[in-house]
Amino acid sequence: MQEAKLDFLKELANIGTGHATTALSQMLSGKLFQLVVPEARLLHFEEAARFVESLEQVVVGIFIVVSGDVKGHMAFLLPVDSAMVLVRLLTGDDSGEVNDMALSALQEIGNIMITSYLNALSKMTDLLMAPSVPGVAVDMAGAIWQSVLAGAQVINEVTLIRTEFYADGESIEGNIIFLPDEDDFKKIAVLLGLGEG
Amino acid sequence: MEELFVNMGQINSLKVGGILTTVGLGSCIGITLYDNSVKVGVMGHIFLPKSRASDKNALPGKYADTGIIAMIKEAENLGALKSRLEAKLAGGANLFSNLSLNGTSIGEQNAHAVIAELEHFGIPIIGKDVGGSYGRKMRFYIESGIVAVTAVGKEAIEI
Repeated sequence: MQEAKLDFLKELANIGTGHATTALSQMLSGKLFQLVVPEARLLHFEEAARFVESLEQVVVGIFIVVSGDVKGHMAFLLPVDSAMVLVRLLTGDDSGEVNDMALSALQEIGNIMITSYLNALSKMTDLLMAPSVPGVAVDMAGAIWQSVLAGAQVINEVTLIRTEFYADGESIEGNIIFLPDEDDFKKIAVLLGLGEG
Repeated sequence: MEELFVNMGQINSLKVGGILTTVGLGSCIGITLYDNSVKVGVMGHIFLPKSRASDKNALPGKYADTGIIAMIKEAENLGALKSRLEAKLAGGANLFSNLSLNGTSIGEQNAHAVIAELEHFGIPIIGKDVGGSYGRKMRFYIESGIVAVTAVGKEAIEI
């Protein structure tokens, strides 16, 4: 049952990220993105804490609180170089500087991607999932990931659904991570006949 | 020189020499306890302020209310005296400060909880670098008791 549930989540992640990268592609005049096979894993706290490896690498983190029928948290994490490529493609600013303009462009990119992801999931499940205004941080990966886990109040274990994507020809890569609240997550499983989880 | 890393929720200690390091403090708080006369140092990396009944098998260092007392015990096991312990803190930031959530940020809650626990045990806080909206790394030099705090795009400081 656990396996079936995780398989289904991977499918959800694939669809969600597919919509997210399509939205991104439309913003960036048709640049195409490839999705890496998604992961859905049930992680204990210690495993979740170790999930990000290069703790000191500077990354951009976009964090959103999901409310509605299914509550949870979403994080969009990307290396700072990838983020700057996105900013250049979107705004034409090639200074590579992480200034207010760049941050607001990234916030908008995060907003559109995560909204598309959640809309796709909402349509499939007929459950409302509404994103908050995104929070953006540029910092050490460890500090960002730790703040995401604390923000999501991950206590014992967490279902982590991750999709990685990249663009051909440009060095853009990133991760979209969905951390549904455990109780609401059961709603999705029950709705889809996957039992009590 | 020996360098031991302290991951989220862990507590680690050294005596005489070496470095205790914790990386990636966002809303978490890094805490050091030091007894200068026996050169005993303990470092913790606390995740949330209060332990949960539902988290029975948690590492004590995950929460402020269980972590500080566990750190004191560890220091005492290495020969430190509680009355000589001095504390330093770093972290407790709010990285997603533009995300307007209700109430106090988790970083602030962590800082309050850790400070209250240290006060409860009568341990003075002799250095701190907490709050703000950026992540920190903390390196604790056991020989001197000096704690170096670094952050992306900022000058390193000693507390």
